[in-house]
Order: sequence, then C-alpha cells, then structure tokens
Amino acid sequence: MPETVLVARGLAKRFAAPDGTPIEVLAGVDLDVRRGDLVAVEGPSGSGKSTLLNVLGLLEEPDRGELWFGEHKVTALGRSARSRERGRWLGFVFQSFLLLPALTALENVLLAARYTGGVTAERRRRALMLLERFGVAARRDHHPAQLSGGEQQRVAFCRAVLNDPPLLLADEPTGNLDDVNGAVILEALREQVRAGGAVVVVSHRPEAAHGAGAVYTLASGHLRPIRRPE
Amino acid sequence: MIFRALRGYLFTIVGIAIGVAGVVALGAMAERIVRFIEGGDRFVMGQISVAGRGMGMGAGFTAGGLLPLAAVEAIRKVEGVTGVQPQVMLPLNPSTSQFMTLTQELVLGMDLSVPSPNRHYRTLPVQAGRWLRDGDRKKAVIGASFAAARGLAPGARLTLEDQPYEVVGVLERMLTAPDRFVVVPIQDAREQWVAKDRLLRTVLASGGMALRADDLNTGAAVGWRDGEDPDAVARRIRDSVPGVNVQIPSELSTLLRQSTAFFSALIVGIGALGLVIGGLSLANTVAAAVFERIRDFGVKRALGATDWHLTREILGEALAVTLSGGVLGVILAVLLGLSVDGWARRSGQQLFLFSPRLLGGAFVFAVLLGAAAAGYAALRIARLSPAEAIRRGGA
Repeated sequence: MPETVLVARGLAKRFAAPDGTPIEVLAGVDLDVRRGDLVAVEGPSGSGKSTLLNVLGLLEEPDRGELWFGEHKVTALGRSARSRERGRWLGFVFQSFLLLPALTALENVLLAARYTGGVTAERRRRALMLLERFGVAARRDHHPAQLSGGEQQRVAFCRAVLNDPPLLLADEPTGNLDDVNGAVILEALREQVRAGGAVVVVSHRPEAAHGAGAVYTLASGHLRPIRRPE
Repeated sequence: MIFRALRGYLFTIVGIAIGVAGVVALGAMAERIVRFIEGGDRFVMGQISVAGRGMGMGAGFTAGGLLPLAAVEAIRKVEGVTGVQPQVMLPLNPSTSQFMTLTQELVLGMDLSVPSPNRHYRTLPVQAGRWLRDGDRKKAVIGASFAAARGLAPGARLTLEDQPYEVVGVLERMLTAPDRFVVVPIQDAREQWVAKDRLLRTVLASGGMALRADDLNTGAAVGWRDGEDPDAVARRIRDSVPGVNVQIPSELSTLLRQSTAFFSALIVGIGALGLVIGGLSLANTVAAAVFERIRDFGVKRALGATDWHLTREILGEALAVTLSGGVLGVILAVLLGLSVDGWARRSGQQLFLFSPRLLGGAFVFAVLLGAAAAGYAALRIARLSPAEAIRRGGA
C-alpha cells in the first residue's frame, strides 16, 4: 500500500443558484493525505465542506482539477471504474448514517462487501466482530428504525471500515449524535488512524479536530491550513 | 429471503396486480367476443347455406321460406356439390323479445340420414352423453348454455311444443351459437314447426299446396367437392335452382364480420384501453418503486456498486415484483371473472374467456413493461452522481 493515499490538485466545483448565478464552492483545492493522517476540515455551514468530501470521495465530479488514489488518477476514469475504485479505497461515514431501511444492522454492514468481492464467511466474521466491538452486536438483526441515532452511526461506522479501506471520509459524523456517542465515533476515527489508515473528517465541531495532524478551514472555496501537517 | 424482500414491495405488488387484473379482465371479455365471432365465421365458411326464397325470418338465421324436397334434389345435382343436408331451424320461443338476437335459443332439426356437409363441423362436439343417431325420435342434444341455464344433463326430460323429449347429449361449450341450440331429428323439428306456425297449419289443412313432410325444410347445408371454389359452387346453385336463397360463404363471412364490426371495434377499444390503463399503471408503479429508493441506490454507489450491479439489482427486483403482481393480478381477474360468470351462467351466458394466449400474453406484457420501466429508472439513476441520488432521496 503506497504511503500517499490521496492527492487532490486544483479541485473546483460550482453550483448554480436558483436565479442562475454561479456559486463557486471549491475554487482550486489542493490536498495531500498519507497513511496515518487524520485531516480535519472546519468551516461554517454552507462553506462547502460536504461538497469537498463528496468530490474527494468521487460522489460528485469536480468541474476542474485532478484526483489520485495512491498512484491511480481517478478523475480520468469512467463511472463504473470510479465506483470500483471508491469501493476499494474509501469508506464513508455520513452525518445522517444512510443505512438502508429494509436491511438489518448486520446486512447494512455487509453491504460494503457486496460490491467489493462479495460477502464471504471471513467478511461476515469481521462484520460480527465490528458490531461486537462497537457494542451493537445484540442489535444485529434490528432494522435502522429500531435503532437509536448513536446505534445507527456505530453500525454505519462498522460498514465504513468493513473492507479496511485506506481512507475514511467522515462528513459531520457526530452531527446527529449526543456527546457520548459523538465521542465514541471520534475515538473510532482516531483508532483507524492509529491502525495505519487515513481519515479526512469535516465538521464544524472543534472536538473533531482533536488529535488531527492537519487542520484546515474551508473558506471562499479554498482550503487554508490552521495547523499544517508535520 | 425472497418473501422478506417482496414484503417491502407489498403496495407495489398490489398496484401491479390491479393493473394486470384490469388488462386480463378486459382481455378476457374481448377474447369471449372474438371466440363468438370466430366460431360463427368458421361455421359459415364450412358450408354453403341455402334457404327457400321467402320472408320466414323468424325461423332462424339461415331461414327464408320453404325449401321443398324438389329443391333439395335439384341442389344435389349441381356440379361440384357433394352433400346436401336438409335442416329445419326454428326459434325456441318465437316471441319478439328474443327475435333475431345473438342470445336467441334455436331448435335445429337435422336430417340424420345424411352426413353433415359442414367441413369444419362434421359433428358437433359432445361433452356428455351422445350425439343423435339416424332413427332417433323425440331425442335432443342441447347446447352447453342451454343446459346450464336449465340445469339439464343427459337423461333429463325436456318439453318442446307439449311433446316430451329425452336429452341424450350436452354439447361442449363452444362460445358461439350452438351453445344455445336444441338439436333434434328433423322429423321432430318439422312437427314443432307445424305446431308453432298457424299459417302453415292453415295451408296444410286447406290442401292448397301439395306438401309432403319431406318438403318442410327451412334450409339446407350444402357441401362441395374437394378442389372446388365454394363461392363458385354457391353461385352455380343460385343460377341453376329456382326459388332458393343461397348464401355465398365468403359473402356471408363478410356480412357476419360487418354485422359484428361494432363488437370488433369494441374489442380493439377494450384491448387498447386495458393495455394503456394497465400498462401505465404497471410501468408507473414499477418506476415509482425504483425512484422511491433512489437514496438507497446512491448509498450503494458510494459503497462501490457499478452500473451493472445496480441495473442487475433493479431489474431482478422489478422482475420478482412484476411476476408476483402479475400472478396476483391474474388470480384476481380469474376470480372476478368466475364469480361474474357464475352469476351470468344462470341465464346461459358467459362473459369472460381466460384463454392460455391471453394469460401468457398478460404475463409477457407485464414482465416486458416492468423490465422496461425498471430499465428506464435504472438508467436515470445511473446517470446521477451518488451525491445527487442521496440528496434527491431526501437524506
């Protein structure tokens, strides 16, 4: 696994306001993320943090700029190839959990395996181990509607790390959680970094940046370092 | 697992079932009318129908005036004719309320000493009991609707013009005119004719016409030799035998189709309406069910699902849902049809015909349309970025 996990150069993204006025959300973002990095991006609501994470995670195409996962230039890839790279390199933790309501907690976790090589006995064992580790093993057969917000985010986190991806992208992961559950998720992100993974977390909560090697603020479409990586 | 997956689609399946039930029920009514028209067409194209020239319209759909034995013998001698079967066709109830209607019940007297010349109906198919034999008297074979309406079976007694008859056979349901026939030996039909027709009785009693029993025929079914053009043979009869009305088979077929043009238009209308309403309902339901889960598909793409993964999942689910809805819809339509027909059968009617081609067609239609709707939805979803799909899904 290469040291450099993600390289972004000149990423730009603009949206049109309802009256047609272009809004430049990203205006040339550069970012380097290596194994073991915890990168925090701060900024007020509406500053474009989620858009940045979506572009970094190939959930949204940039208007300009280039993006590499390791040695692979992924902005040049077609739709399905980008999906495959996403499944191989990334794990997502969303603010609103985004669990599938028709699936149980265990099935939601195993969903990450379905499109990246299939659900094997090994991955099933790992899913159960993760649910156990995050204290939701007893809820494995429950549907999301039967889980609390904190439990849903723990399940979502298990899904994000099931494939042990090199990079975790966390979009306001504690936004819908109480302090106790928020702390559990932030600690899990740091643990992921200690285990050799990389994490980019965007949040407007200052505690999300605790332990981060690099902290940026996103303003006027540019990333400005608050604390530079060592 | 499949049942659990389908449980989430319960309302979708019910929606599809209602659409399919509509298509199948309307289609079954159309099939019933088609069978009726086709059956009549098949009958008239199988023989040349000849009647005596006259105005005896009350004597059934082949009737004209009297067709005396001399005319029958003259027809036999026409070039190209192979067989002539004298017949008597009478309305069972000559009251105006049933006169010349599609549901008219008729008595058909057949000369059983002559084989049926109708190429398509050498014998009428008997479902229970037996067909009439030469020499039978006061025996009757009855149509399926006639039997059902009166609860008659072989061995039952039937009174026609105050005379007792034994039912010896019940015809298979043919969904056309013979379903309401009472077929008797021609000698018995002649007696009934005389009993029904006061004018005929008066003429016979006056001795004004030298009539024998064999002269009392309302018409005849005429066959033609292999290789002969039936229309040409019919024209030959018309030109060489005086005092007869000859139906040219192709003209009669055209006439029959013209007279049923309204029903044909109705069939097309019903079919088109069923396809449009049912099809739109089905396609809309399937597409809506897919779009309803747009956020889920966005999440799946975020987890690495490719276009192929999503298309396969969407089509697979759409197929399962459409098939389930299709089966349920067919069951609903058949139950509806059977219950309505159960009520209609009391008056000798059948409104629905659930033919294999209709049911097969409905399945194929439902599956293809469901797949097309799901394919369209999959294409639309695949074109969205995962972030956009998640946003539109209301996350």
